[in-house]
Amino acid sequence: MTNSRILETAPPLLAAERLVKEFPGVRALDGATLTMRAGSVHALLGENGAGKSTLIKALTGLHRPDAGTLEVEGRPIVLNSSADAVRAGVAVVHQERNLIPEFSVAENITLRQIPSRRGLVDREVMRDTARRCLDLLGLDLDIDAPVKGLSVAQTQLVEIAKALSTESRVLLLDEPTSALTMAEADRLYDVVGRLRDQGRSILLVSHKLEEIFAHCDTVTVLRDGSSVLEAAPLSSYSTDEVVDLMVGRSHTAVQFAPRPTPTEGPAALELDGVATAGGHQDVSLAVRRGEIVGLYGLVGAGRTELARAILGLDRLTDGQIRVNGEPARIGDVRSALNTYRIGYVPENRKEEGLFLDQSLTMNIAVTVWERIKRAVGYVPRRKERDLAADYTTRLGIRSAGTGQQVSTLSGGNQQKVSLAKWLAAQTEILIIDEPTVGIDVRTKAAFHELIWNLAADGLAIVLITSDLPEMVTLADRVGVMREFRIAGWVDNDDHDYGTVSRAVIDLIHAREPASEPTIVRRHRPRPDHPGRQARDSTNSSSVLRGLSSGKQCGETRWHVWHRASSHRCRTLAGWRFLGDVRRGGFPDRPFVLATERRG
Amino acid sequence: MTTLGRFLPPGAGRIRRFARSTEMTLAAVGVIGFVALAADSHGSLLQGNAVRGILTYLSVPILIGLAQLVVLAAGQMNLSVGALGGFLSVFTAALMADHGVPAPLAIGIALLAGTVIGAGNGILVVVTRINGFIVTLGTMTILLGLQYRVAGTRTIDAGSAALQRFGSMSLLNVPTIFMVALVVAGGLAFFLRRVAAGRRLLASGGNPLAAELSGISNARSLVLAHTLSGLIIAVAAVVAVASAPGVNKSIGGDWLLPSFAAPIIGGAALAGGAVSVLGAVFAAFIVRLVDLARAQYSLDPSWVNFTVGAVVLGTVVIGRIQEVRQTRSRQAKPDTASQSTNSTVRSPA
Repeated sequence: MTNSRILETAPPLLAAERLVKEFPGVRALDGATLTMRAGSVHALLGENGAGKSTLIKALTGLHRPDAGTLEVEGRPIVLNSSADAVRAGVAVVHQERNLIPEFSVAENITLRQIPSRRGLVDREVMRDTARRCLDLLGLDLDIDAPVKGLSVAQTQLVEIAKALSTESRVLLLDEPTSALTMAEADRLYDVVGRLRDQGRSILLVSHKLEEIFAHCDTVTVLRDGSSVLEAAPLSSYSTDEVVDLMVGRSHTAVQFAPRPTPTEGPAALELDGVATAGGHQDVSLAVRRGEIVGLYGLVGAGRTELARAILGLDRLTDGQIRVNGEPARIGDVRSALNTYRIGYVPENRKEEGLFLDQSLTMNIAVTVWERIKRAVGYVPRRKERDLAADYTTRLGIRSAGTGQQVSTLSGGNQQKVSLAKWLAAQTEILIIDEPTVGIDVRTKAAFHELIWNLAADGLAIVLITSDLPEMVTLADRVGVMREFRIAGWVDNDDHDYGTVSRAVIDLIHAREPASEPTIVRRHRPRPDHPGRQARDSTNSSSVLRGLSSGKQCGETRWHVWHRASSHRCRTLAGWRFLGDVRRGGFPDRPFVLATERRG
Repeated sequence: MTTLGRFLPPGAGRIRRFARSTEMTLAAVGVIGFVALAADSHGSLLQGNAVRGILTYLSVPILIGLAQLVVLAAGQMNLSVGALGGFLSVFTAALMADHGVPAPLAIGIALLAGTVIGAGNGILVVVTRINGFIVTLGTMTILLGLQYRVAGTRTIDAGSAALQRFGSMSLLNVPTIFMVALVVAGGLAFFLRRVAAGRRLLASGGNPLAAELSGISNARSLVLAHTLSGLIIAVAAVVAVASAPGVNKSIGGDWLLPSFAAPIIGGAALAGGAVSVLGAVFAAFIVRLVDLARAQYSLDPSWVNFTVGAVVLGTVVIGRIQEVRQTRSRQAKPDTASQSTNSTVRSPA
């Protein structure tokens, strides 16, 4: 910290001034400013879609900003490629895993600057560099093993080692701990602290606010693409103040005419303790006809995956799905549609929702061919066209006619076509995934009204969106998902943005996971495979609390297991051994030991 | 699947890994197959000129396999392997026969032409951003047309005694042109394993996004892969001219399937990034054995295509099954790194 005070007068290591980046229909960055100084850890906060990822991409040469300036150590710089960024001393660990699966750990770490002499790869230098970078992280990995055999957490650490391999003074970490256990995260933050003491500057993007507050010096908060708080010392803000800044009070939800929401009768769609092969645990929700139920969560929380499981694209391992009160066995999308009348409007309309090179008619009629076909599968063209024309008018799709190619429509109209085909199929339950991504503001409002009216007409709607204002405008209830579970529900009867968004964000950033991912079980002489015991073991926080207060300890030895990765816990084998709490005196919170930070 | 994309450390691990590798399996299959055929032929397959014959007609399959392999390494396919090879063969022969160009110069021109056309393929792929499959399908058709144009209906005899001598020369029953193929294989293996540009090429094929984020130019890798492919095809064409009494418009017509067969049976990932030069050489040998067996038992030639096609398909299916199984077992495997995290749980004082 003394370092940073001395260097305060020097030009910042990295300064981005009023960056603007526009994508078709969206202004992702709208005057974002970021100043990073040597010897400090800087937090970058903001809700989904606030522009964090776009800003990082602009800082690393992947996006060329439309306006604004970038300076590295006081010198203006233009970054045209990620190689430029590496040369300028800016290294990044992206949220997505970016390693070459067939290459060894050593080679992946040094990939940015392959050590070579006269064009030949110098294996010795490569291995030395890799070893040095892994040592920085205190990591002992076989540097000759191919990366494809590593666990999620290990690849994450290799990525960080890779970022350290170049002589970078600025290190950007985008959600670095999302796949790590707490012990591993601690080790990572140790390294971050060491790098700061060496005079580097680290940018940390994380949705785990407690980590941010524990490890960062300064903070920048982005909202709607612009910085609402610029490089402020974090110590002078409380968690609540920062969350307020992230959310903002400026949004006022549009109010539509209230819909009657029936509370009688069975739910149109009901999930009861559903677990999936994809990793969902204990997901329960119910949607009645005329209701809009929202699913909010960070990217990767398992919302789209849940929709896919409902449609039969992922296997259920536990629990039940009921449609209109009857248990449903949904094997594929075909039966979801034809038998249970469930439709899914996918997030990625261009790739999953539409046949871009085909006519409007074909796109709308694809779901009803089965219904309107005559003998030997002949589909009368007139019938198709009439149907398409009907929905074109009902949804207000602006086109030159039903024969128009869908690729020539605007984004908003394309999305309406994607919706129309499910309405044409006479669905009763509609799952809508991110309906307004990349759609301009006015069309967005029209779309909201459309969804609202569909519910008013008696459709049961599950709305998945990362756009919080949209969620507050439309949903009757919001389920907040985290790590493939439902962390909690927020009622949204009065559609008040302030209170609801607050509650939703509290659930996302809650300190304790929704369901304790730690298992404590009695020691058996030969430790078996943890997965097999996990089912009958004393799961859950009650035992942990018992342990922590010392009641249940007695003479027994306890083993503490922790789930290895936050999701994709396909079998229960993904548990890792943290250690055992020996009989007799153990510190008052044994399992927390694994999470406690050194010093 | 062991690949060149992985560096093998010295020691026991290396031997064990090799013993379980695709290359080892292929070598075993090749040896067993050859021994069986030789035994059934009462040893006539082991005589000097028989061995020479086998190896002579092995060099072109190896070379075209390598030409396909280098493109597969970058995550693409080259459909113009046969057409380019055929065109360059008749082109080289015509240069010498019709225009009296001396053999060394003609060979030089052929190698240059192959390189340039290969680079053209690569540049087209990069500039148009059209899939290499389509681009090379187009150049394949163009080259076929050129080949017919140059060759017409005749069989061109290059008429160079020196070249013919080179084609039939051998050292201890190992033909020179087979050594040429081995040298190219060795060079390519070295390039993909030890040369920085080769590693970058494999990185682009293995994960283009990751490569780009690491400052590697995927465009450069693609152009390089297609260029090398063109160069190797040119070598194959020269070898074909040197080892055959004459070339006509049909040469190269049956090169495409074997060019895929060698690298795929040899363990290359169709998605790119994982190739094995050694495996491809062994695979080419096994394909050659199928041909030998046909000759030995006077089977119908159609059996060769049937068998090779079935083996290629079988290899791809088995590879896919293994991949699925590996993914499953990895997900079920407890984390090996957990041991190191134990230390963070401090035992009570």
